[in-house]
Amino acid sequence: MEIYHLDDLSLLQQHLLAQYQLYQVVKNDDKQCSWQQQTKERNEPLIAELPQSSAKDFFFAEHENLLIFNGEYFQETLPTPAPFVLFGILSCDLTAISYQDQFFKDDPYYQARRQQCLLVGLDCIKPCQQGFCPTVDAGPGVREHTADIILHPLENHQWLLISTNDKGTEAIKGLSLKTCHWHFLTQRDLTLHQCEQEFTDDSDITQAIDKLNNGEVSDSFWQQLAVQCLGCSGCTTLCPTCSCYGTRSITDESEDKKVITQQRFWDSCLYEGFQREASFHNPSAEAGKRVQRFWQHKFGNEFFAEFNRHGCVGCGRCEQTCPGVIGVHSVMKRINNNA
Amino acid sequence: MCADLVKTICPFCGVGCGICLKVDEQGQLLSVEPQQNHPISQGKLCDKGWSTAYAINSDQRLTQPLKRINKSFYPISWQEALTTIADELTAIIDESGSQAVGVISSARASNEDNYAAQKFARAVLKTNNIDHCARICHSPTVAGLKQSLGSGAMTNSAKDILETDLMLVFGADPTENHSILGGHIMQAHAQGTELIVVDPRVTRLAKLTPMHLQLKLGSNIALINALLHVIIKEQWFDQRFVESRTQGFEQLAKHVKDITPESVESTTGVSAELIRTTARAYSHAKRAMIFYGMGITQYVSGTNNVISLANLALTCGHIGKAGTGVNPLRGQNNVQGACDMGCLPNVYPGYQAVAELENQEKFSKAWGTKVTQQAGLTSLGMTKAAQSGDFRALLLFGEDPVVTDPDQNHVQSSLKNLDLFVVAELTMTETAKLADIILPAASFAEKDGTFTNCERRVQKVNQAIAPLGEAKGDWQWLQALAKEMGSKLLNWQSSEDVFNEMAALTPPYQAMTYQKITDNSGLQWPCTNETPNGTTILHQQSFPIGRARFICVNQVDIDESTDDNYPLLLTTNRLHFHYGCGSMTRNSPLLERETPPGVLFINPIDAKALNINHQAPVSIKSRRGYVETRAMFSDDVPVGLVSMPYHFKEAPSNQLTNTAQDPVTKMPELKACAVVVAALAKDQVPKTIQQLQEGK
Repeated sequence: MEIYHLDDLSLLQQHLLAQYQLYQVVKNDDKQCSWQQQTKERNEPLIAELPQSSAKDFFFAEHENLLIFNGEYFQETLPTPAPFVLFGILSCDLTAISYQDQFFKDDPYYQARRQQCLLVGLDCIKPCQQGFCPTVDAGPGVREHTADIILHPLENHQWLLISTNDKGTEAIKGLSLKTCHWHFLTQRDLTLHQCEQEFTDDSDITQAIDKLNNGEVSDSFWQQLAVQCLGCSGCTTLCPTCSCYGTRSITDESEDKKVITQQRFWDSCLYEGFQREASFHNPSAEAGKRVQRFWQHKFGNEFFAEFNRHGCVGCGRCEQTCPGVIGVHSVMKRINNNA
Repeated sequence: MCADLVKTICPFCGVGCGICLKVDEQGQLLSVEPQQNHPISQGKLCDKGWSTAYAINSDQRLTQPLKRINKSFYPISWQEALTTIADELTAIIDESGSQAVGVISSARASNEDNYAAQKFARAVLKTNNIDHCARICHSPTVAGLKQSLGSGAMTNSAKDILETDLMLVFGADPTENHSILGGHIMQAHAQGTELIVVDPRVTRLAKLTPMHLQLKLGSNIALINALLHVIIKEQWFDQRFVESRTQGFEQLAKHVKDITPESVESTTGVSAELIRTTARAYSHAKRAMIFYGMGITQYVSGTNNVISLANLALTCGHIGKAGTGVNPLRGQNNVQGACDMGCLPNVYPGYQAVAELENQEKFSKAWGTKVTQQAGLTSLGMTKAAQSGDFRALLLFGEDPVVTDPDQNHVQSSLKNLDLFVVAELTMTETAKLADIILPAASFAEKDGTFTNCERRVQKVNQAIAPLGEAKGDWQWLQALAKEMGSKLLNWQSSEDVFNEMAALTPPYQAMTYQKITDNSGLQWPCTNETPNGTTILHQQSFPIGRARFICVNQVDIDESTDDNYPLLLTTNRLHFHYGCGSMTRNSPLLERETPPGVLFINPIDAKALNINHQAPVSIKSRRGYVETRAMFSDDVPVGLVSMPYHFKEAPSNQLTNTAQDPVTKMPELKACAVVVAALAKDQVPKTIQQLQEGK
């Protein structure tokens, strides 16, 4: 690990722009945040705000062609993106990428994009509205193993820059930076600790996780809760760790020959058809079963064992987007009160 | 990657949620996300909204004009299409007069498109034959509320849901059809707002409340009159409001004097006790909102059903204040706007009556041409007249009446009988298949304009991508067609020009501009010089007709009851996965996977008696038609009642539905008809209607 002092963030941005396509979270006139490409000319200030859509579609595309068969041979469809950097990605979303890296370890489409990406993490020093990252070990400070470079804001628009691995070190090569004293790391720890203290009480969530894993949540509770699941797919679409997909063949017969494209697209385990078999048999035909499974994937011990962490990174996006008012905070509260 | 995030309005349903379209560097629509700070949807979308990109990017989209020769379609140029249409229209008008031609516009299209459509009909074709699908959803709302209150629109706003004490949901299934608004209702209920659901089916909302009045099909008026009886007898009504703001209360009191809860128990199937509890809860609530949908309007008694709901709200003074009102949940994204724009035979934009000489003069002067005095035909009137040969040419866009209108066979044969049938569409619908000329339409993502949602909020729709292929926006091709016919009356440079012309002639839109709409995240009409920031709650000080009117109405039974040959009642419903005829939502592999192409919901007790298994193939027959589909066991429908969604062209419920009409609005009784259901051989795949008809 190398620690530097950075006086002017734009020097780093310009330096990276010379080697990478640079994406950064930008806020529009309606205060909506999204990942947008930056250029030398268009270079907006770095903000520590959660974009509504996480960064997962940089690697796991919402729709992509897996293969094309044109009647004679199969065509390669592996993506070949130019090197790119996600500049200022927050800890929760970085934790999610690290989680997805495990899930898509052997997926060539995911990995083709992932290999081209440099992750520049940004520490949060203020809690966000729905977030509870400290509860699930996903923030507010960037976890070292999840980013190549970490940025930590200091006073007077100064920054602490931490390179966590060779990829990070390689990326900042040639940039004139002052190495700085390790006590800045202590200061960072203090700031992050203070930020953690500012998060609201998380006992609803921790207690509900215990209840969930102790088998204290009844089937009838899930059934009643699931009446409010409209199967919109909003939670699974916005959840940075959700990775379910479906596939379909698209046949194009408009030309002389038949071209068949195998496409994969984001799916949602909350759809009734997700697990239905051709015989109409469905292990999760009831909405209650589907909702239960979703939360089990996020907080169940069996998945913790597999991924070495919870499936939830505490970003709170599901709470905001669920039309049925059964996002994470609402569900955990109800588990505590009623289950 | 996403290069641009274009803020616009979701094209599904009347809630009008804020949606952002993600567009890549090549100008392709990638996907969508919600607008986080939209005044209604606040970062939420339903499954239809989330799958918008599938509907727009579909490889099924039409990209060039097509001409039918015998049974096949061939691509032609726009010029050839316009010349052909113009020549034939002119010839038909010369031969048979303007009454022989007409336009059916679309509640999915923008206000600008709809304004252009009615102006094209009235100023260029010289006919009032202009209508759209509100005929089969909320025409009774417009007619009923106009009589009772003076204005046929939702009286309050979506935000009122979080300011009310009681929500009475009458014949509406908002979590399925208006999911985000349904979500508001669930949220309010979770926070302690009382919820009463009146519905023959156990809807999602009904499962959340102990107060579910599971009435029999079509017994709305009996139930409401009994509620009024209790409220008046117990002196629970708002005397001050009744005296100061209404007229006709004495007659109403007399009218319901003998309609006791006990006297309607057998008609409604609702216990007298539950009627009394409901009457008490609604009348005692400090603020109470009524929501209603097709379970009120799609009956022969549709207009009277609406009137009785108005009677109920007026009696308790639950109107003209925050958290109250009579609130129709309008189906399509712009059905409110299509009505506002005057795409109805009897009114000009802003509900200015066609029959009034003063209005005829106003529009003749504004448009620089004399408009006709002759009354126009409704959409069902046009298809009926086509059957007899009196009506010969129809331009239709963005609707699929073959799937969505009652008695499919009648609609099909009428449309086939036309000399000229032009359809502008996104994809090849069942209706488009009957057209002589098909025009490729631009989708909402490909045009600028405005939609008006069910709470009267006019919102800006912004173009995100270029029109696919040679597709054109509706006002653009209507303008081109007018020019081809030698008329310069449709002459606009931009959709903003269309809007400005419309706003100048439409009093409730008077003070609106594109800029103001954008700056305010939408403006709710009336937005006039007196109310420049719009109006969130109607009727606060007075009604447009001065005092609101109590109108006495009587229970009217459904037109077709069961008998030995047709022993079950069929009603229609919607699934949250799909929208209308399914021409957009069924392009999503996710939504399409959710259900078989057509389902019949049946109570397991009825199914068992008929030897039908879950998911088994079944036949359904009514006096008008026959379809095959799959049975879906559901306790949500009571014994004796089966239900079918109308989204599926393979098994259209409208083969079966009744054409009996509301005498006031010609609204067909889509919510009730008698059928007989039978099991098919176990391994038989249900035949689609197309297969069945070809087999004939």
